[in-house]
Amino acid sequence: MLFAAIAMQKKVYFRGTWLPWLLVAPQLIITGVFFMWPAVQAVMQSTQLPDPFGLSSQYVGMENFQFLLNDSTYLESFATTALFSVSVTLMAMVPALFFAVLADSVIKGSGLYRTFLIWPYAVAPAIAGIVWLFMFNPSIGVASYYLKFLGVKWNHVLDGDQAMLLVVLAAAWKQVSYNFLFFLAGLQAIPKSLIEAATIDGASPWHRFRTITLPLLSPTTFFLLVVNIIYAFFDTFGVIHTITLGGPERDTSILVYKVFADGFVGQDLGSSAAQSVILMVLVGALTVVQFRYIEKKVHY
Amino acid sequence: MATIDLQNIRKSYGKNQVIHGVDASIADGELIVIVGPSGCGKSTLLRMVAGLEEVTEGELRIDGRRVNDEEPKDRDIAMVFQTYALYPHMSVFDNMAYGLKIMRLPKAEIRSRVEEAARMLSLSELLDRKPKALSGGQRQRVAMGRAIVRQPSVFLFDEPLSNLDALLRVQMRLEIKQLQRRLGVTSLYVTHDQVEAMTLADRLIVMNGGVADQVDEAMKVYERPATRFVASFIGSPGMNFLNKVPIASLPPNLDLPELAEQAQARQTIDLGIRPENLALCDPGEAQLTLRVLTVETLGADTLVHGHSELVQGHPEPMALRLVGTHRFEENSTLPLKADASHWHVFDCETGDRLN
Repeated sequence: MLFAAIAMQKKVYFRGTWLPWLLVAPQLIITGVFFMWPAVQAVMQSTQLPDPFGLSSQYVGMENFQFLLNDSTYLESFATTALFSVSVTLMAMVPALFFAVLADSVIKGSGLYRTFLIWPYAVAPAIAGIVWLFMFNPSIGVASYYLKFLGVKWNHVLDGDQAMLLVVLAAAWKQVSYNFLFFLAGLQAIPKSLIEAATIDGASPWHRFRTITLPLLSPTTFFLLVVNIIYAFFDTFGVIHTITLGGPERDTSILVYKVFADGFVGQDLGSSAAQSVILMVLVGALTVVQFRYIEKKVHY
Repeated sequence: MATIDLQNIRKSYGKNQVIHGVDASIADGELIVIVGPSGCGKSTLLRMVAGLEEVTEGELRIDGRRVNDEEPKDRDIAMVFQTYALYPHMSVFDNMAYGLKIMRLPKAEIRSRVEEAARMLSLSELLDRKPKALSGGQRQRVAMGRAIVRQPSVFLFDEPLSNLDALLRVQMRLEIKQLQRRLGVTSLYVTHDQVEAMTLADRLIVMNGGVADQVDEAMKVYERPATRFVASFIGSPGMNFLNKVPIASLPPNLDLPELAEQAQARQTIDLGIRPENLALCDPGEAQLTLRVLTVETLGADTLVHGHSELVQGHPEPMALRLVGTHRFEENSTLPLKADASHWHVFDCETGDRLN
């Protein structure tokens, strides 16, 4: 016997120590190699300034950070990111809630309806980006062709606002599916009798939605809010890289894109590392807020 | 205050008909209990009156007004759900005030109505609490309070006590009855519990497979059940049945009550007798005998379970209820008789009452 499970107890007691270590090793290795190591590396690199040829680097303390916080392009990127993530979150959550409410009341063919709504989630970000890029290509795109009839001159390659709109649409489109699933599950967890009770109390459908459904969905909504912000911050890299490359100028260069552009295109590894450290802190803070808030406020 | 009229009410889901034409008229201030086993359509019937289910066919009138196509809010009803359906994110006060706010009553009026109801239900101390901080019985009261404050002309109860423990159920049953008497509001009450039904109801609607088998006062339903189903469903322990008894082979000293004309041609009948209507007697005048299997002494009375043979070679399970405490040996044989008026006679095929 490798281990002795004590009868009537759920806990498993191991006699040796090597088996339990072996069992958790895959998780530890993955976390170590793909998270801890790069994170430590980033923190170390953020205090270094490499020479132009990347052959040596010198310790500069917090200078990379000081430089960043005084750099107007970095602060602009913050503003771009804020606009981008708020837009993506709204565009991904509001339609998702709308679809979920509709799907919740569909009885016939609900499986088909749901499958179609979930599909975009299975599309890789880069491929989603390419699809939207083709549709909105200023010279050959289907969407830009029809927009011309509406009097809209579409050229996201030159127009920064249009470029932003396009990446927001593409990024949100992918995330709607995810939000839809959670909203649908949340809606189905609300007992039908509550809605019926409100109906008998004389509440109109809109009033019921506002005073019963929405408050009872608030834990789901808050969870999705944080997940969507994190998504907009990080996972949209592929979409931006395929559609706009952060341009025109730097109009769609969000923080995570700037990390890549400065580090791997601009070869400024020290600044790039400092930027990723700042991002890490931001996400850490978001996560803390999420757990704190979810535990305390969004309960009913 | 209102009357409710059900005229040939039917309900189908697609081609599947679940309620096959129910007729009943409920007087102003009456407390009517719809009782039946699960799946008999009693909740569906109630939900149709509430407006939560569409009426497929028939006329539904509240206070003489046809309400088939009216929204629940226009029917002037209030409903108490089995799960209470309290809004979990609102305080007790807000739960009760929800409907009043929608009616756009003045704030002072809302406050006084809620406080009045809270006093009636001894909830005054709990108005600021959320439902999850209440016990089952308290939640049940809040659900009642929410119905009361709206001062509707009809109360609908959908198994309101079935989530409570046995002791609380008995207590709340009494309270509901007293409250309904005090307020005098016409009420429809659905339950599967026949004791609850008997104790609460002015009149019963006994449902069986989507049909109202009998609509009558509780004691009449008990004493003269219209069908074999009603006879078996109402009363605990249930009525004893002797199945397919050939009339010719009945013991000579068993006088049957007078049968309806169409019944006299029949060769065989189903006989029913309630456990408390059987009495011990001298062996000489016994109509039937009971072989004792188990004896349950409950203090106030004694239940004897066993087998009886009315007709040779035709044993049937039978229960006997005697007042007080009695002791019998297992396998002993008890001579029994019953009054002619206590025998119930049913058709073997249709289950309809024949006497």
